[in-house]
Amino acid sequence: MISLKNVSLVFQGGSVAISNISTEVKEGEFVYLVGHSGSGKSSFLKLLYKEYIATKGEIEVANIDVSKLPKWKIPLLRRKIGIVTQEPQLLENRNTFENISFALEVMGSLPEEIDAKTNTLLDLVDLSESAYKHPGQLSGGEQTRVSIARALANNPVVLLCDEPTGNLDPDLSIQIVSLLEKINRAGTTVVMATHDSSIVNRRKKRVIELSDGKIIRDELEGSYI
Amino acid sequence: MGKFSYVLKNTLLNMRRTPLLVFATIIAVLVSSFLVFTTLSARSIVENNTLRWQNGIHVVVFLDDRVTTTAHKQLETSLEDYPEVRTVDYFSKPEAKEEFKVLFKDQPELLAEVDFEILPASLRINLNDPSNYKLIIERLDGNPAVKEIRTSGQAIERLLSLTDTLVISASAFALLIGFAAFILIINTLRLAAYSKKKEIKIMRLIGASSTYIRLPFIFEAVIESLIGTSIAVGFGWALIEYSKNSIVADSIFDITISDDYLIFLTLSLLMFSLIFGLFASFVGIRRALND
Repeated sequence: MISLKNVSLVFQGGSVAISNISTEVKEGEFVYLVGHSGSGKSSFLKLLYKEYIATKGEIEVANIDVSKLPKWKIPLLRRKIGIVTQEPQLLENRNTFENISFALEVMGSLPEEIDAKTNTLLDLVDLSESAYKHPGQLSGGEQTRVSIARALANNPVVLLCDEPTGNLDPDLSIQIVSLLEKINRAGTTVVMATHDSSIVNRRKKRVIELSDGKIIRDELEGSYI
Repeated sequence: MGKFSYVLKNTLLNMRRTPLLVFATIIAVLVSSFLVFTTLSARSIVENNTLRWQNGIHVVVFLDDRVTTTAHKQLETSLEDYPEVRTVDYFSKPEAKEEFKVLFKDQPELLAEVDFEILPASLRINLNDPSNYKLIIERLDGNPAVKEIRTSGQAIERLLSLTDTLVISASAFALLIGFAAFILIINTLRLAAYSKKKEIKIMRLIGASSTYIRLPFIFEAVIESLIGTSIAVGFGWALIEYSKNSIVADSIFDITISDDYLIFLTLSLLMFSLIFGLFASFVGIRRALND
């Protein structure tokens, strides 16, 4: 599902974000990407959805050769990927329902499809009761769940989560991870960047640890350490 | 269909977000287009009129009564031999009298008092190229049979020159206002793009194409431009219709302009305003939407 071969990312000015990494993530896997702040977790994820362009190496995501993908084809890649960022990035003037349906609306779904799919997603993230609340009326955890629901709107095969629990307390973080595990069980490949040890140690999943842009550990049933 | 309705909905939302700027933009486009439409129409009307005049009499040579009719006839024959002359018509004193009576039939007091004997016979010349009227003046200079020469060329030249000045000045002014409209569109779009920064970021993450993200902005610019131009063209047509029945049309000018020309002008302006809107939107959102 995801493959990186000798990938490096060097920013203008010479700062190295990713240094010659190679790894693979199989379809249906759940992978924690761990490491200290500045270790390269976010850069790793951004390379996968071509927010950053690799300086060197080959990247493949969902059978798309990301490294050779022209700029105008990036939307095609992103339609196969769900992206959840640390900040939920919700539209303040839209309620929960509208924030989720926005993704479907933008992709040109028909109104009846939008309604049905949004209601299903609201159920999935357990926010049906808050469908008509605006972001300001939602807790941090609920906002993250809205952002996950939105990321799932277009049936992505891969879900990339960049520290979605970064601003949440432990209980809410566990709720979010449980939701992501539920999504993973339904067949979606999940890669989640985090530096929250309690989450990683909670269940034994694959752990890839980055340090200074290099993979220093890759364990199938790892822990945070 | 779903995508189109999203684009249309967002175009209208953008326009509702900054109504005053949108209004100012439409007005600027309207004024600019109106100036272009009216000056080009006016130029066409003047050209039509000068053509009409040019197809008539270009030079009138008033003949001296003291010279014999034979000399008049000789002059007519020699004029007919000049290559620049198309036709020469001899207009006798009695014919001049009849013409005077017709021209001033509404002024019986004048007709009662005038001494028709003072009206000279004349040669009325039509030239192949009306701008050659000076050649005739040179050729007839010092001819004893000639009392006075009058030409329509000078008047036409002055009128055309005045029209050209008017067209150039109005075009420069239209260009200036057009540039203001261009800046207004750019600012409107940039404000709209800025206010939708988060929305655009989410759209990019979801996988919306750049073209799709840009479409509401492009539509906005094109709609504003087309509304302004359409109103301007409407006013222009109305002004021409009004002028046809005005006092100006009854006196000097024949306010006729072909429908073909007006349709051509209308379509050209609408096409130009479409391109103008597209270009303004391209410039306006290029930087705002390029991450």
